[in-house]
Amino acid sequence: KRAQVPKPCSLRKLEVTVRELKLGYESDETVLLRYCSGECTAYRHNYDIAMAHVMRTRFRKKGRKVSNGPCCRPTAFEKGFSFLDNNSRYHTIQNISAKHSTVS
Amino acid sequence: KGFHCPDAERNCNPCLDAAKACNLNNSCKKQRSAYIATCSREDPNKGESCSKKRCHKALRMFLDRVPSEFSNRLLFCPCQTEGCAERRRQTIVPDCSYKDKDKPNCLELRRVCRQDSLCRSRLADYMVNCCMTPPTASTCPNQDNHQACLASYTRLIGTDMTPNYVDSSFSNWTISPWCTCKGSGNQEEECMNFLRYFTDNTCLRNAIQAFGYGIDNVQSK
Repeated sequence: KRAQVPKPCSLRKLEVTVRELKLGYESDETVLLRYCSGECTAYRHNYDIAMAHVMRTRFRKKGRKVSNGPCCRPTAFEKGFSFLDNNSRYHTIQNISAKHSTVS
Repeated sequence: KGFHCPDAERNCNPCLDAAKACNLNNSCKKQRSAYIATCSREDPNKGESCSKKRCHKALRMFLDRVPSEFSNRLLFCPCQTEGCAERRRQTIVPDCSYKDKDKPNCLELRRVCRQDSLCRSRLADYMVNCCMTPPTASTCPNQDNHQACLASYTRLIGTDMTPNYVDSSFSNWTISPWCTCKGSGNQEEECMNFLRYFTDNTCLRNAIQAFGYGIDNVQSK
């Protein structure tokens, strides 16, 4: 079996119902959710490499923790998403779907 | 097409499927969210619940920009349950775009519509393309041109003559603009003839049913 090559940080898609978002809305409408996922190893700065070493050699004894490298997160969200709930009320939710993913 | 329900399926909701189809298309999702947000937003300037003018504009923009395969599915989805028909009625956010405090006389509403060039031309277009051809009065003009009737109907949405389903009945649905023929005096017959273009129009009814069931020659109901 070949070792899995980690996929780099990128925008992915997922079909979910509004109900599944667990934001308290009772709606069976389906929405395409964009989210960020993947590895950020390619984006490490000297800072991250140095900190990884310093963490092992100097900080371990003190029990200090430092974030180990950049995270894969949205840098922008799509505009609000509107839908009808099961009680015939419309709602708009903001910042629910990612527009760009970048390492931050 | 042909998105009608299998007989055994109780949860089937073609209007919900139409919303899903729209939400999975990036442009349709954006445009739909835009008009819904506009039409359900409170108007801070007035004490009113929303700005009808802005809502109408947003609806016209949605119907202009989104391919009719998406908008028609939302507007004319075939329903076999009340939940589905209620969703269909809600498509245009009727609390803002359709309803009003008072219900004007239909001839008065027509007069208001005719003062606006956009509304006037779109209403004239509707009257031509959805006209009932006597004596059978069962089909549309131009060789059963259902598409033209549906398109003309859709273009009325976002004008003063915005039509909609009057309630969430799925078996016996009626379409009407927000007006009545009460208090028409000696013009009652003219008023009724006008209103019947919406409420009792076999061409429109057949066009909607033909769209919903994917058949192009449905007999009158």
